[in-house]
Amino acid sequence: MEQVVNTLFNGLSLSSIYLLVALGLSITFGLMGVINMAHGEFVMIGAYMTFVTQQFFNQYMPESIGSLYYFAAIISAFVVTFILGCIMEKLLISRLYGRKIDSLLATWGVSLILQQAARTIFGTQGVNVTAPSFLSGGLTIGGCTFSYNRIFIIGLVAVTIVIVWAVMNKSGFGMKMRATMQNRPMAQCMGINSRKVDLLTFGMGSGLAGIAGCAIALLGSIDSTVGQNYIVYSFITVVLGGVGNILGTVLGSGIIGFASVFVETYQSSSIARAIVLILVIVFLQFRPKGLFTIRSRSLDEE
Amino acid sequence: MPNTPLLKKKGGFISRFKYGYHIVFAVLVIILAVCPFVMSTTAMIQFLGKCMCYAMVAIGLDLVWGYTGMLSLGHGLYFCLGGYAMAMYLKLKSNGGNITDFMQIAGINELPTFWKPFLSEPLTFILILAVPAVVAGVIGFFVFRSRIKGVYFSIITQALTWAAYSIFIANSGFTGGNNGITDFDAIVGKTRGPANKGNLITLFIITLVVLVVIYAVASFLVNRKFGKLLIAIRDGENRTFFSGYCVNRYKNVIYIISAIMAAIGGALFVNFNGSITPTQMTISFSVTMVIWVAVGGRGTILGAVLGTFLINLCEYNLSSGALVDVWQYILGAIFCLAILFFKGGIIGLFKEQIPALIRRITKSDKNKKEAGTDAA
Repeated sequence: MEQVVNTLFNGLSLSSIYLLVALGLSITFGLMGVINMAHGEFVMIGAYMTFVTQQFFNQYMPESIGSLYYFAAIISAFVVTFILGCIMEKLLISRLYGRKIDSLLATWGVSLILQQAARTIFGTQGVNVTAPSFLSGGLTIGGCTFSYNRIFIIGLVAVTIVIVWAVMNKSGFGMKMRATMQNRPMAQCMGINSRKVDLLTFGMGSGLAGIAGCAIALLGSIDSTVGQNYIVYSFITVVLGGVGNILGTVLGSGIIGFASVFVETYQSSSIARAIVLILVIVFLQFRPKGLFTIRSRSLDEE
Repeated sequence: MPNTPLLKKKGGFISRFKYGYHIVFAVLVIILAVCPFVMSTTAMIQFLGKCMCYAMVAIGLDLVWGYTGMLSLGHGLYFCLGGYAMAMYLKLKSNGGNITDFMQIAGINELPTFWKPFLSEPLTFILILAVPAVVAGVIGFFVFRSRIKGVYFSIITQALTWAAYSIFIANSGFTGGNNGITDFDAIVGKTRGPANKGNLITLFIITLVVLVVIYAVASFLVNRKFGKLLIAIRDGENRTFFSGYCVNRYKNVIYIISAIMAAIGGALFVNFNGSITPTQMTISFSVTMVIWVAVGGRGTILGAVLGTFLINLCEYNLSSGALVDVWQYILGAIFCLAILFFKGGIIGLFKEQIPALIRRITKSDKNKKEAGTDAA
């Protein structure tokens, strides 16, 4: 029983991390059709921002609010990656709309630059973030221990999802965003500044990557390749869930997260990774467009 | 404008000759053939040998991406399949068919069954070609059948390569894990050190011949109707399909051919490198291959070769010493710029951009002259 509960909890925790990384991607890839290979590097930047914020709090802030650095880190990570995403959209992505494969390659160039920048600034050695004091320890219920760390991440993901959902479905900006993505010329005719919408949407997707970086910083050491470990899974998650569908991404990351944890109880983690990826690819044989598809009769839909 | 018809002729100075590309390639081959005899250090010869192996992969990738429009981010897998096959043979040859050190560490006492075919030389050569062909055939069959294309194809190939990478790392008893297979002599004997320069030159010439053959095969394919169909698939897959061609079969065939080319490149690479590690199977290495093709010029066989040599020569000269940090920035920037502004890569630069520039300059000169006469 305890074993099962632990496995379920680990699955939920892993799923939530994949979800957080994939969420930003499902906006940039799913809604805008941009393959952002530098998404993993935005995650890395978010993680490093957590580290930087912690250092800043350690040096300049009174001890009493020291453990609150994490909330400041989330905000700063979001803001920094949001701005970087906007700059990248302005300089690079906006010239490549409609050329998906080219956008994939150009963003890979950016990711090379960002990785090297991280190595130049922070060195090749990984750095560690100490989790804020209120997250140490865990909650013990009937023999099962749930670390506060992971509970906090699950909560963070839940809050983020709600906020993203609200922004997309309840706000004026979300309405403009959906309108632009569904029918660009018509949205432009209605007076929506589609260039601005693109810019902010891409910034939002990148900002979510930054928040994901904050969560990952709690789990282990940070180095310049930390984002690379998540990028393949995130892309597969988005494809599995169905491109352009937030709910699909939630489900997709759930499936991949739980499947990994279940296979890992029998196999080593590398083998588990391979098995899960192959299973997903086999699944895509039957539903090439993922779990949730937007039906359309057009021939050359991309 | 009396001088424009000459320049307005289709293309620039390369394509004005019908065999322009082949002439450039022939010059490159002659330079390469002379290199090992002129160069004093073996390190440089080894490096150029590796470049030629990379060029084979690049040609294969170009056939799939530049001509057929399917960006594979998983050619490192085929490169490694060829490489590992060759490495297994060479390893067994150098230790007399006994089990290897990493098998001993993993507690395997007998040679695993799938290692046994690599005891024989002819079988190894067949397997170097057959294993990647079968893997690519199976992957291609399923992927193309469910009509996965565009970026989805890239994502799937990338995920598959990552899965294979994980498997190779995890089964360290069979594959050497992270360290890969190391410590063996090349197929022509020892190549390390100045004493064995003769062997190295032999290997170099063999590789050069293979590169020429692969170039010839690729040029032959793309200049036939087959090549025209590949371009048709790239530019309008559905239209080609509706014209009555079995698009999936063409895609699969070219994917297999490209995988075989990558595997040959990998198999020869092992001889120069003296080891094979899963690093060559990572996604970043697979994307690096794409960088070579993109910088050289996609959609031309020569472009793939030129791009490979250019990027690797830059890397060789810049990535050591003080510039090691800068190199990654330069590589990233080159790549972004190539994608953004020079879609045709180096070839496109010579074929379109420079002629366009010349045209513009001559035109503005002309205009200036005309303006001058008007004023007078």
